[in-house]
Amino acid sequence: MSSLFVNIFNGIVIGTIYALSALGISLILGAMNVMNFAHGEFYIFGAYFSYFFSRSLGFSPLIAILLSLGLIFWIGFLVEKTLIHSTYGNLMDSLIITFILSIVLQNIALIIFGPYPKKPPSWIIGSINVLDLFYYSSQRLITFIVAVLLLILFFIVMNKTWFGKIVRAISADREVASLMGINCDKVNSFSFGFGVALAGVAGAIISPIFGVTPMGGVGIGLTSVVVVVLGGMGSFKGCVIGGLLLGIIENIGVAYISSGYRNIFGFIILILILLFRPSGLFGTTIK
Amino acid sequence: MKKSNKNLLLVIFLGIVVCLPFLLDDYWLHVAILTLFYVIMASSWNLLAGYTGQVSFAHAAFAAIGAYISGILSVQMSISPLITLLFGSVIAAIFGLGLGLLCLKMGGIYLSLTTLGFSEIVHIIIKNEYEITRGTMGLEVPNLLGFYSKTAYFYIMLLVTFIIIFFLAKLIKSDHGLKFKSVLNDELAASSIGIDTVKVRVIAFTISSAIAGFAGGLYGHYLLLITPEMSSLSQMFMILAMTIIGGMGTLSGPIAGAVFLQVLSEYIRIFGKFHLLLFGVISLLVIKFAPGGIVGLYRKITQSKTDPLKIETQSKYDY
Repeated sequence: MSSLFVNIFNGIVIGTIYALSALGISLILGAMNVMNFAHGEFYIFGAYFSYFFSRSLGFSPLIAILLSLGLIFWIGFLVEKTLIHSTYGNLMDSLIITFILSIVLQNIALIIFGPYPKKPPSWIIGSINVLDLFYYSSQRLITFIVAVLLLILFFIVMNKTWFGKIVRAISADREVASLMGINCDKVNSFSFGFGVALAGVAGAIISPIFGVTPMGGVGIGLTSVVVVVLGGMGSFKGCVIGGLLLGIIENIGVAYISSGYRNIFGFIILILILLFRPSGLFGTTIK
Repeated sequence: MKKSNKNLLLVIFLGIVVCLPFLLDDYWLHVAILTLFYVIMASSWNLLAGYTGQVSFAHAAFAAIGAYISGILSVQMSISPLITLLFGSVIAAIFGLGLGLLCLKMGGIYLSLTTLGFSEIVHIIIKNEYEITRGTMGLEVPNLLGFYSKTAYFYIMLLVTFIIIFFLAKLIKSDHGLKFKSVLNDELAASSIGIDTVKVRVIAFTISSAIAGFAGGLYGHYLLLITPEMSSLSQMFMILAMTIIGGMGTLSGPIAGAVFLQVLSEYIRIFGKFHLLLFGVISLLVIKFAPGGIVGLYRKITQSKTDPLKIETQSKYDY
């Protein structure tokens, strides 16, 4: 019984990470109508940067994560300015460009950091007895707490701040938003940077547990996309619930079926959603 | 350029290609055969992306399905590869039809998503079901002809490539081709004049999957060892990069792109691990600065000599 609890809890922990990453995709999709296939690569670069700052330069984990967050934001900002901006309005070009970008980033990671897994140092050691049911690693628990805090922060930013208001206005109706005097180009760059930074920070906080490899982004990128479809495109709430759901399903599937098929459960869910409920749990379909 | 001039160039080009086995050594003949495989793959992917505007990421996966189905049937049931090749192609077409029906109704993003997911599923299954596919060790398959001859294989590949390119050219010039292009240019307008846009897309998707499956089978029976690498996203990226660098939405583009990238990758072989990165950077530059690819550049140059005004009216997806 306790192993089932552990699996479900593992699922919730990884689910919050999926949710963070999926919120990034959802934000970019909503604000810019661009599906970012290179999202997983920003996730691994977030992890690699935090590894680099903490292991190679010796910063404390918190500072390393903040630095890598800022770096990913600026890289995303520049990528939007140079590559994505010109494809605006052409869905096919943005799909192709972000796909090529994902291959380029994977290979840059492979050349700089090599093919073997890299792990930033743990923040904390030992484990905690949870309600006398099972022992759980403190690192996972603290990662979970940080992820939840970040999710709360995201919703505060989206609902209470000027930036969130603008992004929501653009998602609702781009033309009217620009008539109201919003500089859409500027917001695009910021939301792309912000979106990929969410993936980056998700990678940075989970990497002390799982480590990071150059190809590790493919699975997480696809899973985040599945979460977005599962939750319903355009729904932030859907991303969180979809992420948790997928995390739990994956972990139970891995525990009771086979670990080689970890990513397959997500895709089966994707196909089932497309067959029976294309709008996802909370969303609407987009054209 | 004058029509007769163009035909003359074409004949000279074909003449050189047919004579290649006498001009090249064994190694370069091998490269030529691989190039022909990529020509078929890129051309059939181009039918989707360049002519109907659907970005599929499952093309390499369909090739792997064709190769594995054909390989497994010929190994386990000892049927001649000439027959199993067709089976592989049919199964790939059936998967293509299913996938097409599943997501083509929903349009752009969903198709790309689902094909990407499908491609990963195929990759994972091939890797994990090692009892049947022998996993990452690779599956040994029999030779297509029963004997090993690079020259013979080159001519078979060449013949198949000719037939497929000829078929694609006819298809694009036919009524169906017009429908494809109308769906690409304006879906709403196309459906308003009575074109069943979903059906058109499913047809294009199924045809291109069948071609990919067939090409994959041919490739497998030439290499004699097929590995999960065939269905990987890097393989898919190669096909995509070739089409884009050559020129999407043109018949000659994928051919030019495949030849260019294959020859280039032989020359930069010393920098082994950099070549995907380099191809990625090249294709990003091409999309940014020369969206028409090699063919587009060539047209620009030849046309600006004759009529400088014509460039402006040249559509990106002009045939």
